[in-house]
This record gives sequence, C-alpha cells and structure tokens, in this order.
Amino acid sequence: MVPIQYYMMLSAALFCIGVFGILTRRNALMFLMSVELMLNAANINLVAFSFQNGNLTGQVFSLFTMALAAAEVAVGIGIILVLYRNFSDVDVTKATTMRW
Amino acid sequence: MAGAFDFAPAIALLPFGSFVVALFLGHLMPKRGALAGIIATVGSLLLSIWVALTVLGGETYNEAIYEFVAVGDQPIQFGLLLDPLSSLMLIIVSLIAVLVHVFSLGYMNDEGETGLPRYYGELGLFTASMLAFVMSSNLLMAFMFFELVGLCSYLLIGFWFRRDGPPSAAKKAFLVTRFGDYFFLVGVVAVFATFGTAQFAGPESFPRLAEAALAGEGEATLLFGLDAQTWFTVVGLLILGGVMGKSAQFPFHTWLPDAMEGPTPVSALIHAATMVAAGVYLVARIYGFYALLPTALAVIAFVGGFTALFAATMGVVKREIKQVLAYSTISQYGYIMLALGGGGYVAGVFHLTTHAVFKALLFLGAGSVIIAMHHNEDMWEMGGLKEKMPVTYYAFLSGSLALAGIVPFSGFWSKDEVLFETLIHGFGSDGGIGIALLLAYAMGLVAVFFTGFYTFRMVLLTFHGEPRSDTARDPHGVHWNVKGPLAVLGVLAATVGVINLVPVHTFVPAVPEYLHDWLFYGPEGLNGTYYEELLHNVAGVDPGYPLGEVGTMLASAAVSLGLALAGSALAVALYRGDSPVEHTDRLGSAKTVLFNNYYQDEYQVWLAQGLTMRVARGADKFDQGVVDGVVNGVSSVSLLGGSRVRRIQTGIVSNYATLLTLGLVALLVGIGLMGGWF
Amino acid sequence: MLIEALIGVCLLGAMLTFVAPDRVAGKLAAGISLVPLVGSLFMYATFEASGNALFGGETMFGMNLAWFELASYQLSYHTGLDGISLPLFVLSTVLVPLAILSAWTPIQERQSQFYGLVLFMEASLLGVFSALDFFLWFVFWEAVLIPMYFLIGVWGGPRRKYAAIKFFVYTNVASLVMFIGFATLVFALGDSVGSFGLPEVTQAIADGGLGSVAGVPGETIALVSFVLMFIGFAVKVPVVPLHTWLPDAHVEAPTPVSVLLAGVLLKMGTYALLRFNFTMLPGVATDLAVFIALIGAASVIYGALLALAQQDLKRIVAYSSVSSMGYVILGLVAYTEYGLGGATFQMVAHGLISGLMFMCVGVVYNTTHTRMVGDMSGLASRMPYTVGALVAGAFAYMGLPLMAGFAGEFFIFRGAFASTVLPNNGMALITGVAMFGIVIVAGYLLFAMQRVLFGEFFSATDYEVREAGVHDVAPLIVLVLLVILLGTAPGIFFDMIVTATRPILDNVGGGGEAAVESLGSVLGGVR
Repeated sequence: MVPIQYYMMLSAALFCIGVFGILTRRNALMFLMSVELMLNAANINLVAFSFQNGNLTGQVFSLFTMALAAAEVAVGIGIILVLYRNFSDVDVTKATTMRW
Repeated sequence: MAGAFDFAPAIALLPFGSFVVALFLGHLMPKRGALAGIIATVGSLLLSIWVALTVLGGETYNEAIYEFVAVGDQPIQFGLLLDPLSSLMLIIVSLIAVLVHVFSLGYMNDEGETGLPRYYGELGLFTASMLAFVMSSNLLMAFMFFELVGLCSYLLIGFWFRRDGPPSAAKKAFLVTRFGDYFFLVGVVAVFATFGTAQFAGPESFPRLAEAALAGEGEATLLFGLDAQTWFTVVGLLILGGVMGKSAQFPFHTWLPDAMEGPTPVSALIHAATMVAAGVYLVARIYGFYALLPTALAVIAFVGGFTALFAATMGVVKREIKQVLAYSTISQYGYIMLALGGGGYVAGVFHLTTHAVFKALLFLGAGSVIIAMHHNEDMWEMGGLKEKMPVTYYAFLSGSLALAGIVPFSGFWSKDEVLFETLIHGFGSDGGIGIALLLAYAMGLVAVFFTGFYTFRMVLLTFHGEPRSDTARDPHGVHWNVKGPLAVLGVLAATVGVINLVPVHTFVPAVPEYLHDWLFYGPEGLNGTYYEELLHNVAGVDPGYPLGEVGTMLASAAVSLGLALAGSALAVALYRGDSPVEHTDRLGSAKTVLFNNYYQDEYQVWLAQGLTMRVARGADKFDQGVVDGVVNGVSSVSLLGGSRVRRIQTGIVSNYATLLTLGLVALLVGIGLMGGWF
Repeated sequence: MLIEALIGVCLLGAMLTFVAPDRVAGKLAAGISLVPLVGSLFMYATFEASGNALFGGETMFGMNLAWFELASYQLSYHTGLDGISLPLFVLSTVLVPLAILSAWTPIQERQSQFYGLVLFMEASLLGVFSALDFFLWFVFWEAVLIPMYFLIGVWGGPRRKYAAIKFFVYTNVASLVMFIGFATLVFALGDSVGSFGLPEVTQAIADGGLGSVAGVPGETIALVSFVLMFIGFAVKVPVVPLHTWLPDAHVEAPTPVSVLLAGVLLKMGTYALLRFNFTMLPGVATDLAVFIALIGAASVIYGALLALAQQDLKRIVAYSSVSSMGYVILGLVAYTEYGLGGATFQMVAHGLISGLMFMCVGVVYNTTHTRMVGDMSGLASRMPYTVGALVAGAFAYMGLPLMAGFAGEFFIFRGAFASTVLPNNGMALITGVAMFGIVIVAGYLLFAMQRVLFGEFFSATDYEVREAGVHDVAPLIVLVLLVILLGTAPGIFFDMIVTATRPILDNVGGGGEAAVESLGSVLGGVR
C-alpha cells in the first residue's frame, strides 16, 4: 500500500501549482484551470484519507466537490464572458474599476 | 389677637404687590403705577411704625415663616427678625421709599418719561427686597435679598436703556457688587459648614455659637485646620467682601459714581436707604459676630477710614452735582464702617440713620435742581438758583450743613459720635487694633475737612452767584410733589440728631439719648450692652480717655467741628461772589489724578477686559486649537489612515490572491510557531 | 404601566406625525406632547414612593417583566420612577411641548418629519429616565442619538453635517466605552448577579460581590469600570475636556433642538453618572474624589472663561452649560445630602434655564437672522417681552436668588463646602474656587446683554425687527414662571430627591470617615 504521505505530497504539489497559476497568470481562463487544480488537490486528499480510514465519507465529499467544481466552472465561464464583453479582454488585471 | 408682628411680612409684600401691579397693570392706571407704589410704601411705613412701637413695648420677634427646604436637622428657612435695629431700619427704608415715590411723580411723570410702569414696578421690587433684607432672620435669606437688591439696582440704573451710558453703568454696578457677593456667598456657605446654622438671633444663632466656640465650648467645625479665632476672622472677612461691594468701600467703590446714570430718585433710594445701606446694615446685623474678631474690626475700621478720606478727596474736584454727591456717599459710608469697626455700634447705626435722611434730601434736592436745569448736571452752568427755587435751596442747605457736620444739624451729632467712639476705642485697645483704629480715626478726621469743602463748594456753585447759563437764568419750575419730600426731609435733616444727643446727655442727663437706649436695651444677645461686653471680653477693644471722659469728648467734637468749619470756610472763600472761578488748576498734577479717580476705574477695567478677556481668548484659542484639535485630529488621523490603507485594494485579482496566500502562509507559520510544530 | 402608556403615546404620536401633512404636523405634535405632560403631572401629583430605586426603594408607575435570557443572564423589561428620576421625567415632558411650540416659526421644511423625530426622541428620553434594566436602558440611551443626529443634520445650520457627525460619533464612542465599563463590572460580579437589572447589580456590589477575576483584584476592576463609565457619561454631560462637540452641535442645531439638547440630553449624562458611578461604586468615587472635584471645578471655570470669549449668543449659552454642569459634578462627588440633592435639583433647574436661554436666543435669531453680539443692539425697544424673558433667563443663569438656578447652586455649594470626602477640607477649597464661576457668568451675560439688548437700536441684517408672535413668546413666559416657581419653592422637587439620595449616602457612610480612610489608601497608591 502506498503510504499516505505520497498522496499528500502529490496533493500539495498540485495545490502549489494551482496557487502558482493564480498568482502568475493574467488570463481568466488560466485562473479557472488553476482553481480546478486546487480543488482536485483537495479531492486527492479526501479520497486518500477516506481510503486510509476505511470509510466512504471522504469519497462522498470528493463527489460533492466535483459537482461543485462543475457548477463553479459554469459560473466562472459566465463571469469570464461578461468580463470579455465589458473589457474586450480576459486579462484580469484590466478589470480594476471597483478599486478605491 | 393679631399683633404687629403678624402683619410684618406685609411690610415687604406690599411693595412686592405694587411691583406686580405696576408692572402689569401700570399702563392702565393713572400716574402709571405711581399710586400703587405710594399706597404700598405708605402701608409699609405705617406697619413699620407699628412694629417699632411694638418693639418699644419690649417685644421682639424671631420666627421662621417659610421653610425653603428641609434636610434633616438643617433646614433652610425664611424668617423675620424684628428687633430695635431692624425696626429702625424698616422705618428709614419705607420712609425714604415713600418720599422717593412721591418725588418720582415730579421727576419722571411730569417730565413725560416713557416706560413708567416698569419704573414703578422696579422701584416697588427694590423697596420690597430691601425691606425683606432688613427683616431677614438668617444670613442666607439676607444674602438672597441682598442679591435681589443688586438686581433691582441693575434694572433701575439701566432704566434709560436706549442710551449707551446707563446699561454700561448698570452692568458695572452689578458686576462689581457681584464680585463682592462672591466672597459673601463663600462666607455664607462657610458659616453653614462651620455652625450648621445661619440664624442671626437666639441661643442657636451663629454669633452665639462662635462666641461659645471661642470660649472653648460648643461645637463648631473649623476648616483647614485653623484655630477658631483665625477661621472666624476668615469667615468674617469673606462676608465683609459683600459688604464692601454693596456699600461701595474701597476698592469696590468704582460702580457707585457710574450709577449716577440712573434716574435721580433712584440714586436717592440707592444711596440713602437701600443698596448701599444694605452693606453696612449687614455688619450691624451680625455685630455680635464681628465683635468677637479684633482683626476683622480693625479691617472694617481701616477700610472705612481710608474710604472716607479717599472718596472725599475725589469729591473735591467734580463738576457734576450728582458726582459730588456720589463721592460723598462713598465717603459717608466709610464713616459708618469706621464707626462699626471702631466699636461704635450705636454711632454707626446713628450715622446710618442721619445719613439716610440728609443724603436722600441732597439727592432729591439735586433732582429738583436737575429738573430745573433741564437735565443739565454741570454745576459750572448753574449758579443763582437760590432766588429761583427757595424751597429747594433751604432744604438743600439743611442737608448740606448736616453732611458737612455743622452743629446742630443731624450730621454733626452722628459724625462726631463716630469719630469719638473710634478715638476712644483706639486709645483704649492694646496692640494692632488700637493703632489701626487711631490711623483710621486720623483719616476720618482729615476727611471731615474735605467734606466741608466739597459740600459748600457744591452749594455755592449751584445756588449762589450769578446764573452762568441760560437755563440757570430761566429754570424750569417744580411742583409740590418735588417740594413736599424736600420739605419733609429738610426738617428731618436739621432735627433728626435729637434722637441721640450723647454729648449733651453727658452734661445734662435730662436730655434723652433715645437711640442709645433703643439699641442698648434690645433682646438678649442683640443689643449694644451685649456687644460692648463682647468687645471687651473677646476682642479686647476698650474705650480709653486720654483727657478724661468729658475732656476727650469735648476735644474730639471741637476738632471735628473745627475742621468741618475750616473746610466750609475755605470753600466759601474760594467760590463766593457773583462769578466764582475754577481753582482746581492750582492742584497741579494732583488734579488730573483726582479727576481720574486715582485711576481706579482704569485698573479695574484692565482687570476685567485687559486681563480676564485676554485669558478668556487664550482659553478659547486653546480650546479650539488643542482640545478640539485633538478631537478633530483623531478624525483626521482616521480619515488619513483610511485613505492610505485603502490603496491595498488595487482591484487586481492577482494581488488579492497574493495577499490571501501570504496571509495563509503567515497564519500557518504563526500557528506553527505557537503550537511548537518546529 | 403609566410610563409605558406615555412612551407608547409618544411613539404612536411620532408615527402619526410622520405621515401627517406638513401643514398640521406642528399643531398635531404639540397636542400629542401634551398627553405625556398631563400624565407626568398626574404622576407627580400621585407620587408617594420613597427610597432609591437601586437600593430596593419603592418605585412607581413602572413594570417588571422577564424579557429573555442571554447566556446565564436574565434580561427584563423593568421600568419605574423614584425621587431622582421623576423630576427629570417631568422636566422632559415639560420641555418637549415648549420646544415644539418654539419650532413653529423656525422650522418651515419637512415639518412632519421634524416633529415626528422630536416625539420619537421624547419617547426615548422618557425611557432613559425610567428604565431600570441596563439592557433596556441602553436601548433607550442609544435611541436618543438617532433622532438627534437627524435633527441636527437635516434642519441645522451651514455646518450641520460636521456638527451632526461629530455629535454622533463622539457620543457613540462614549457609549461604547461606557458599555465596556458596565459589562466589565457585571461580568466581574460573576455568579453573584444573574441579570443586568440595575437594582440587582447595585445590590450585588453593595454586598461585596466584586471579587477578583483572573488574578485581577476586585478593586482594580471597580476602578477600571468606574473610569470607563465616567468617561462615557462625561462626554454627554459634557465635562472638560470632553466638551467640544457641544458648542458645535448647539450652534448648528435649530432652536428647539438646542433646547432639548441642553435641557434634557445633557442631563442624561449626569443622571447616568449619579445612577451608575456614584450609586454603584461609591468607594471608587470617593477614592477618586479629588480628580472628579477638580474636573468639576475646571469645567465651571474653564467653561465660563470660554463663554466669555464668544461672540455668538448660542455659543455663549452653550459654553455656560458646560460651566453649569460642572457644578453638578461637584455636587455629586461631595456625597452629602445637600450635594447630591442639589446636583439633582440643578439638573432640573439648569434644564429649564438653559432651555429658556436657547429659546430666547432662538426668537432673537428668528427675528434678526443673526446671533452675533456685534451685529445688533437695542433690541429691548423693539421686542420687550422677549428681552424681558432673556434678561430673566440671564439672571437665572447667574444664580439670582428666588430663581431655580440659585437654589440648585446654593445647595451644591453648601453640600460641597461641608463635604469631607477629601482630607483637610479640600472640597471646601475646590468649591470656593469653583464658586468664582458666579462672577464670570455674570460678566459674560451682562456684557452680552448690554451690547445686544440695550443702547440705540441697530441691526446689521435687513429684517424688520419687532415683537415675535404669541406662540414664540408664550413658552418663554411659561419657562420664566417655572424657573421662579422652582426658585421660590424648591421643595417641589428637592424633598423627593432627598428621599431618593439618602440610601446612596447610607451606602457610602454619609461621605464620612470611611471615605476619608479609603482615600488615604488610594491617594497613597496614586502618588
């Protein structure tokens, strides 16, 4: 059996990649993808611990998360569309009209 | 059966009623409310006489009639104290008030003044306050009516409010006396704190408690760790502050000459019987307290003597007839203070009585002259009025002779007794007080000369010689309502001295000394005998006769009469003839100083406006700048801080994400450090 | 029950007035405000309770219902009047109708909203003076601020927004500080008290329930909460140096609002000081007496000096309020019968007198459209009745005997001078100095009166100056008469006040030896 630490390493790596994507990319679509990566990192954790503990709670949660991710992508894409319509671009640093 | 004492409250309530009636219904009444005032004051006078007759029968009255508030065993009450002193004063006040009301018919109504309901209303309130003050049975009630007297003088001095002068003078009068009253109020509070009562009379009265405390008995709460004598002296001097303010003693005298801006009948009332008299009356009222305190007595006498001289010198150079009279009032009240401080209780009250008569007379006479002169008060524009207005002249002359202290007019007897009492007590007392009394006596004596001089300068300039202006050649006539009061007072000024012919009594015991008997055989603890004992036993003030009793008396009388005559003679020498000339220039630079009243006004105005206003403006700047500045500073700092901190909100999502991540990391590190993960 | 009925009438009246047309709103509000007036006079007539509400004394006209529980604390709807609160209750109901009457002339916009807010404020004020549960009391306390904010901010002068925000933020921060102070006290009491009821808390403290919490000794907790509550209430009073919101608020507020602000709102501060600080924590109060007395004296003298420097009539009266309220502080800290009683009496007296003064200044302003001293003179010849009332009010402010101000001040002076809360008669010294305020107050009022009222008529503004209408002058006359009535017969309120303040003194030991002893220990600590 693969020790839990490996799963955690994998999940942490995925999460960091997601964070890195969010911090460095300017394209809103890339943002969305990075968020997906982070969610999946969480999913891996949930599934791994579920396997470790021998109950299904974690797996059920990860199913929930997937559904949530789907919904989130739908909303996210909607936002991106509006963003594009208003700013003719999907660059998130352009949309700064709601600052101070 | 209801006696005089049951009706005594009406003595004050009647004029109060006339205040209400005249103020609100005066415009509907004939004479604009004057009749209400005259009826009320005549009623007060009759009741006062009734009360005095009852007191003569050996009864006195000292009862609470109204409880202001009651807390535990220390109630605050209004009460009446009717004894020889107060009943005498009641007669004086109500008599002068009647005459002033009558005179006002000529001075105000006949001259077509407006606002008469207000005038007579205020006059009624003035009289009522003074009468209530006189009857007060305790110090607090006295203070309350003392203040009301001040209010009424404010209102009446400022009666002609459309002009600039009177409101200013009224303000000054109230403010200066208020300054004195501050000390008085502290004194009242201190009396309450010390004795728990402020009663004037009775075994539980504060003078008696003070006496007991000085004898080492009884209970009195001494404050600030002082011994009884010192603390009581402090309290006595605090009360004296109010006295000096109201009675216009140096350095609180500056309001009084300005108060001449008021209508002349009001000046007569203020100077003779009400406002100014209130101060010295208070000293006489609590003489049982002051008689215990040699230091306070010395201060009273010294202030009095100094004021008598100081004011008399200023009266010498004045041009306006009312100004001369104003300074003579200050000076004469100085004599009363001198007498009271010098152990001459009867002499002080005697001079208070005679002065009330002749000063009322002089002011009303001056009022008559002012009517005649179409409200021109400059004596250098008068002259020769003697033939034109003989009643006024002879009445005024009678008052002037009394003021100058020429035998046998009333002023001579009283002033002589004042000086004599001070002299013998000065000789008889050991230590500081003896010296203080003798110094005060000397100043009082010198003032006699000046009094004679300014009095006759005034008479000569006003009535003698050739008329020096057109109005003086053709003066305005005056009616019975002016002449009547003058005649009454003229006779009184000449004769009222008979109530206390002490020097004559010494030689001819058959000649009675009514006032002396009247005041010496009053109720327990409130009579002259008792005060003399106190002076002797506690204060160590005793009479001493360097030339024997009779010799001293004769010498004193001769010296004061001689000085009065010398002063008068000098005035006659300088200002007689058809067209007298001014001699004030001969005084050189002293003239400037005297004309400017020793610059007393200047420094007091500087204190009020130069110093206090500057401090106030400084405080305002401090308040606006520093105190409010801090408040506004807090809000500015918040606003500024907010405008800086909000820069974090760049609107760029990546920045927010960075901050989020950094925050999470910081949180994790923090928790890790705290939790000891590392 | 009667209290609730009156508060209810005010609230319903407020709603009714809100929706009434502007034309009738003023008259409607005046009519409605007569109901609480009659009610409170009826209360006064039938009042026979004695004792202090916080020391288990009898209260009247109120009710006590369990409301809800918060953690282990029972919150209740508890109201009632005793000898301290009834005079202030009556004061509020008297001043509101008069203020409404005086608003008829100056308020010409959004009348229905204005009068609605005034009635809403009256409801809250009545609540403040009658609530006996802290939670309920705090709701009313805060509720007063809201209408006040709008009344200043909407109908005020040129700088109304600044003044309204300053007022609201300042007093609200103060409320927060006070709330923390009281909450500290209650939580420190721990299990010894199971509610926020003021009587319960007072009793628990008196029984010595204030033990040490988390290593902090009870005395320290008492000290901290006393100081916090004192600061909180002192802003409302206001006490130097926390007073600067007051002149701004007064200057910008319309006349009727100034009347209520000076007449009643300031009294909330001293009332709360008396109820909370000086009743619940007498030990701390006597320990800190020297500071409190000095603050009081400083307010008197400093406030009077500031008034002396002002040119705006309203600012003069506003600063002199600071000065007069300083006397109240002095009376409270004296812990003598005359001191506490006089302080409470002075609250009522000053409420009437300052109301009168603000109304007079308001009438002058309505007529001349200026309040600056140099801009007018000789008004006495044009508007005799108003000027008569103004002179009467000014002399009442100066403490003229037989007017209410003198009675209050004298009681305070007498009580404070004889007080023994400070060693070596320190109170006598401080009182003697503070009494000098009576000279300064005479100074600035006489100077202002001389310049504005007397002399040749002159007005820098081009308005026709003549006597104001009946409904402008009538409230002035009523107030003058009330001031004289209270001044000649102070027993009207003073007797019931004394019955209610005596338990406070019994609790502290009459300001006597115990206080002096505890002072010695604390002064040692302070040094």
